[in-house]
Amino acid sequence: MLTPGQVLIKRISNILTLIALLATALYAAGARADAFQTPMFSISGFGTAGLVHSSEKQADFTSTILKPNGAGHTRTWSADVDSLIGVQVTANPTSRLSAVLQVISEQNYDNTYRPHVEWANIKYRLTPDFSVRAGRTVLPTFLLSDTRKVAYTYPWVRPPLEVYRLAPITASDGVDVTYQMHTGDFTNTLQAHFGQSENKLPAGGGTIKGKQSWGLAYTMEYHFFTLHIGYESTHLTLDATKPIFDAFRQFGPQGIAIADKYDVDNKALSVITVGARYDPGQWFVMGEVGHSVTRSFFGTATGWYLSGGYRLGAFTPYITYGQAKADNLSDPGLNLATLPPPLIGQAAGLNAALNSLLSTKPVQNTLSIGGRWDFTSSAALKLQYDHTNIGTGSSGVLSNLQPGFQPGGKLDVFNAAIDFVF
Amino acid sequence: MINMYRIGLIVIGLLLGFGSAEASAQVVAVVAVKNPVTTLSKSQIADIFLGKMTRFPDGREVEPIDQGEGSAARDEFYLKFAGKSPAQIKAFWSKIIFTGRGRPPPEVSNGVEVKKFIAKHPGAIGYIDQKLVDDSVKVISVK
Repeated sequence: MLTPGQVLIKRISNILTLIALLATALYAAGARADAFQTPMFSISGFGTAGLVHSSEKQADFTSTILKPNGAGHTRTWSADVDSLIGVQVTANPTSRLSAVLQVISEQNYDNTYRPHVEWANIKYRLTPDFSVRAGRTVLPTFLLSDTRKVAYTYPWVRPPLEVYRLAPITASDGVDVTYQMHTGDFTNTLQAHFGQSENKLPAGGGTIKGKQSWGLAYTMEYHFFTLHIGYESTHLTLDATKPIFDAFRQFGPQGIAIADKYDVDNKALSVITVGARYDPGQWFVMGEVGHSVTRSFFGTATGWYLSGGYRLGAFTPYITYGQAKADNLSDPGLNLATLPPPLIGQAAGLNAALNSLLSTKPVQNTLSIGGRWDFTSSAALKLQYDHTNIGTGSSGVLSNLQPGFQPGGKLDVFNAAIDFVF
Repeated sequence: MINMYRIGLIVIGLLLGFGSAEASAQVVAVVAVKNPVTTLSKSQIADIFLGKMTRFPDGREVEPIDQGEGSAARDEFYLKFAGKSPAQIKAFWSKIIFTGRGRPPPEVSNGVEVKKFIAKHPGAIGYIDQKLVDDSVKVISVK
C-alpha cells in the first residue's frame, strides 16, 4: 500500500520520464529539420548540495519558515537547510507561446523530499515587449526572488534572511502581465500580477494562505546598474494561530481586542521593497531594503542588507551585512487582575502563548563573510560564515525552539555549498 | 626575457580578471555583407547576445549566433563586449532560463561555422577571430 506521497512521487516521476522521452524525440526530430530553430522542448536543471552548522543547540537554523528542522538542535551539520534539486522543462510550440514546468525536490514541511511544482505557467507574447502569463509563478518581490532556489545565480550561499524572510508568500497561482520599454540604454520592465497561494507549515502548523494577492514590480536596467522596486499586497490566513485567538475571544472585550489586533485571519499584508545592484564585472555591490506591514502578530517589520564582492579570476570573496527589525516583541495580554480567579490560569497561559508568538519575529543583524569559487563552467563551491546578534526578546530567524532556548544572544553559522546547473 | 615579461603580464591580467583580450587575437563582431548595419556600440552588441535587444537599431529582427562554451573566441567576446567572465555568463543565462524568460542564442562550434551561418541568415550577427574575416562577412565597427 503506497502513501499518497509515494503515489505523487510515482506520478510526477512518470510524467517527467514521459516529458523527457518526448522532448528527446522532438529535439532529435527538430535538430534534423533545422539545427538553429528554437527546440520545441528543452530540459535544464539546477541544484545545491549544502551543509550547515549552527552554534545554537536549543533551536534550529533553517532557510525558510516552511522547513521543519535544520542545523543546531536536530543536526550538528544539516544538509536540509539548502540542499535541493530542480528540473525544468520549457516548451516553445510557437515563437509567441511558451510553457514552463519546474519541479523541485527539497526538504518539505513534513520532512520528506517529495517534489513540488515551483513554476508551471503558460506565457503568450502579444508583442515583443508585452506578454501575459497564466499559472504558477514565483513572486518578484525582491531583486533575487525569482531565482532564489537557483543559488548558482547569486554569489552567496543564500539571499540574506534579514530581507528575504519579510514576505511569507513567495508564489502565486494566477495571471500576470509584463511590459518592457527600451529607451536609449535604459530597459524598463513593469510587471503586474494577481493570484493566490497556499503552503503547508511544519509541526502541524496547518496552512498559510494568501488570497486576493496582487503586486507590482518595476525593474530598470542601465548598463551595469539594476534597480528593482516591488510591492505586494495579500490577505493572509494562518491556521496554526487560530485556536489561540479563538480562546482570547472568550475573554470578553479585552480578549476580542487582543485577538483582532494579532490574529492572522484574512488580514491585509503589504510588503514594499527597493533593491539595487551595480556589477561592472570585476566587482559588485548590491543592497535591498524591505518593509512589511500587517495588522496581525507579524506587525511591522523592516529589513535591509548591503553586500559587496570582488572577482579574482574564478574566486569571488564577498562580505554582507544585514539587519532586521520588528515592532513590539511582547504584549501584556489579558489583564489578569480583572479576571475571576478560576480563569487566571488559562489567561496566563494564553498571554504566554501570545508572547512566544511575538518573540518569533526576527530582530537581528548578521555579518557574513564568504567566498565563491567557480571551479568548473557550471558549478561553484561556496563557503560562508555568518555571525548574528539576535535582539533581546527575539528568537531571530531560528525555529523549532526547544524548552531550553533563551531569546537574544549570539549565533555563529558555518555554511558550505556546491551549486550547479545542468 | 620578452616572453617571460609577456607571460607575466598575461598572468597578472588573468589574476585581475581583465583576461587576455589585449594579449591575444582580437575578436570582432560580424554580420552579413548585405546587412545595412555598419556600426553598433559595445553595449548594443552585448545586449543582442544577452537577449536584451531583439532588433537592430533600424527595426529588423536580429539573430545572434554564439560559439560553444569553452571556446577562446567566446570567452574573449563576452569579456570584451559585456565585461563578463564565462561563469558570469552562465549565471546570467541560468537566471533567464529558470524563470522561463528565454534561452541563450544557438551555438555553432567555431568561427568558420559562424561565417557559414551568417551566409544563410541575413539577420544574423556573430563574432569571430579577426584572422578569420574574409569577404563572406562584414565587420561591425564599434563606436
